[in-house]
Amino acid sequence: MKTKSAIKPRNSKIYLYLLPGLAIYAFVVLVPLVMALRYSFFDWSGGPNMDFIGLDNFVALIQDDVFWQSFRNNLFIIIMSIIGQVGIAFLIAVLLTRSWVKWKQFHRTVIFIPNVLAAVIIGFLWSMIYNHDYGLLNYSLNAAGLESWISPWLDDPSIVMASVTIPIVWQFIGFYLIIFMSAMQNIPDELYEAAKIDGATSWKQTWHITMPMLKSTFRVAIMLCIAGNMKVFDHIFVMTGGGPGSSSTVMAQYAYDVSFNRFELGYGSAVSIGMLALSLGLILISQIIGRGEKE
Amino acid sequence: MKWLTPLGKTIVNILLLMFSLSAVFPIIWMLYSSFKTQKEFTLNTISLPETWQFSNYIEAIQVGKLHEYFFNSVYISLSSVFLIILLGFIIAYMIARFSFPGRKVIYILFMFGMLIPIHGLLVPIFIEFKNVGLLNKPYTLILPYVAFGLPIVIFLFESFIKQIPKEIDEAAIMDGCTTFQVIFKIIFPIASPVIATAVILSFLTAWNEFPFALVLIQDEALRTLPVGLTNFNGQYTVNYPQMMAAMSITVLPVLLIYLAFYKKIIQGMTAGSVKG
Repeated sequence: MKTKSAIKPRNSKIYLYLLPGLAIYAFVVLVPLVMALRYSFFDWSGGPNMDFIGLDNFVALIQDDVFWQSFRNNLFIIIMSIIGQVGIAFLIAVLLTRSWVKWKQFHRTVIFIPNVLAAVIIGFLWSMIYNHDYGLLNYSLNAAGLESWISPWLDDPSIVMASVTIPIVWQFIGFYLIIFMSAMQNIPDELYEAAKIDGATSWKQTWHITMPMLKSTFRVAIMLCIAGNMKVFDHIFVMTGGGPGSSSTVMAQYAYDVSFNRFELGYGSAVSIGMLALSLGLILISQIIGRGEKE
Repeated sequence: MKWLTPLGKTIVNILLLMFSLSAVFPIIWMLYSSFKTQKEFTLNTISLPETWQFSNYIEAIQVGKLHEYFFNSVYISLSSVFLIILLGFIIAYMIARFSFPGRKVIYILFMFGMLIPIHGLLVPIFIEFKNVGLLNKPYTLILPYVAFGLPIVIFLFESFIKQIPKEIDEAAIMDGCTTFQVIFKIIFPIASPVIATAVILSFLTAWNEFPFALVLIQDEALRTLPVGLTNFNGQYTVNYPQMMAAMSITVLPVLLIYLAFYKKIIQGMTAGSVKG
């Protein structure tokens, strides 16, 4: 569509207006994306010596157990978030539509609070909660007479992933709660009224009206869970740094370790490319599956 | 037929209340524990401070130099917000109002920015900034923060400006306004509700950002609060109340902004996802 209008400036003028923002965006997002691809073909520790090694970095990446372990850890966090965040948030959102549930505004406001805090703060806060001697968790277990449950929450490789995932899930439940609440407001009341006349209980209405009507919201929420948790870094950096060993490493943490602790910038670029490719792939797959269900 | 008995309803209400409290209690615990002495804290983790004393805060500033990090965070966040709003508004206006070659591509490029996990760019951006000598400058962090902030803001502005009648712009042009004046004297004030949302959102994002601040800045004097906290933690691992004082200083501005504007924040943070 071509709109000839009196107010339209010359194209050259439009581009001039767009230039500053576009330039910064290209410099920070687009150029590094392309350069990362280039660096990933070199053996390079940041100095003047860059050896072109072709696909060696990617061959190494595919055989790199720690990389795949970190990817599995990302997947674990994603699955727990889909269950925990989307599940709990939906349940609470449904409860908040019930007339007998009290303090609705309070719940909504308070559950959202952790969402606005820095992930670093959440990480430190939960390290303190998990602390062996002074932590809230062990204190509560003691008070409840459950001393035997006390564990080295962040130091035991077999439970550390659960320990670091809980704060991540906890922080963002409020976000999904708000998404579901605003989506539910868009469901026409007539649907519920008709169901009521037919004698459907409120839980049947949830199952047969709310859930199907929110299909696209579920899809968006799950996609956000995937996109958000593929890049998770701050919480884990602060709580465990990926340890003990590499038991709680995620992909962003691994890219960081390779590049800034081992100074393998070429391989670090390959890890970053791997991370970007896996993330976009997962998002794409979730979109396709979501679409397929719709039709 | 009722599914839940009155007793059941009471229990659900209590469970829900407990859940809500669990969302804030750790934060409240942090705030009041920051007024305890180390000794008090080790004796009883959960008790209120016997005397509310500020020594943890004073030491966090005197020894931990938290005020310097605080100043850096304020300066970086405000500069980023200013540029995000200015540049984002211009771009959104052009995309919303005019058709020109490349319009679609530019819009898609920015929307792509909302989708990619920016942490994958951490290493490449570090290399690029290192190569062109942009590490450790007072303005280093502003560049990525503006770039990462633009997509959501352009999305919010563009969908708002589209709803403002074009006749307003035309009338202003007839009256002799330049394009720049139309954007900032006429449309900008009309868009003030969505601008407020964008300002708050961009500020919170910049204030809380960690990985890029960690990697692109090594100079102690230029660090922002989140990275400053990790330093602080390294030096005083054992002194939890003092660490909590430092964390409270970081959190308080955010909490105050949230309590003052929570409706706008909730709206803005979820707008992108609900429409998308």
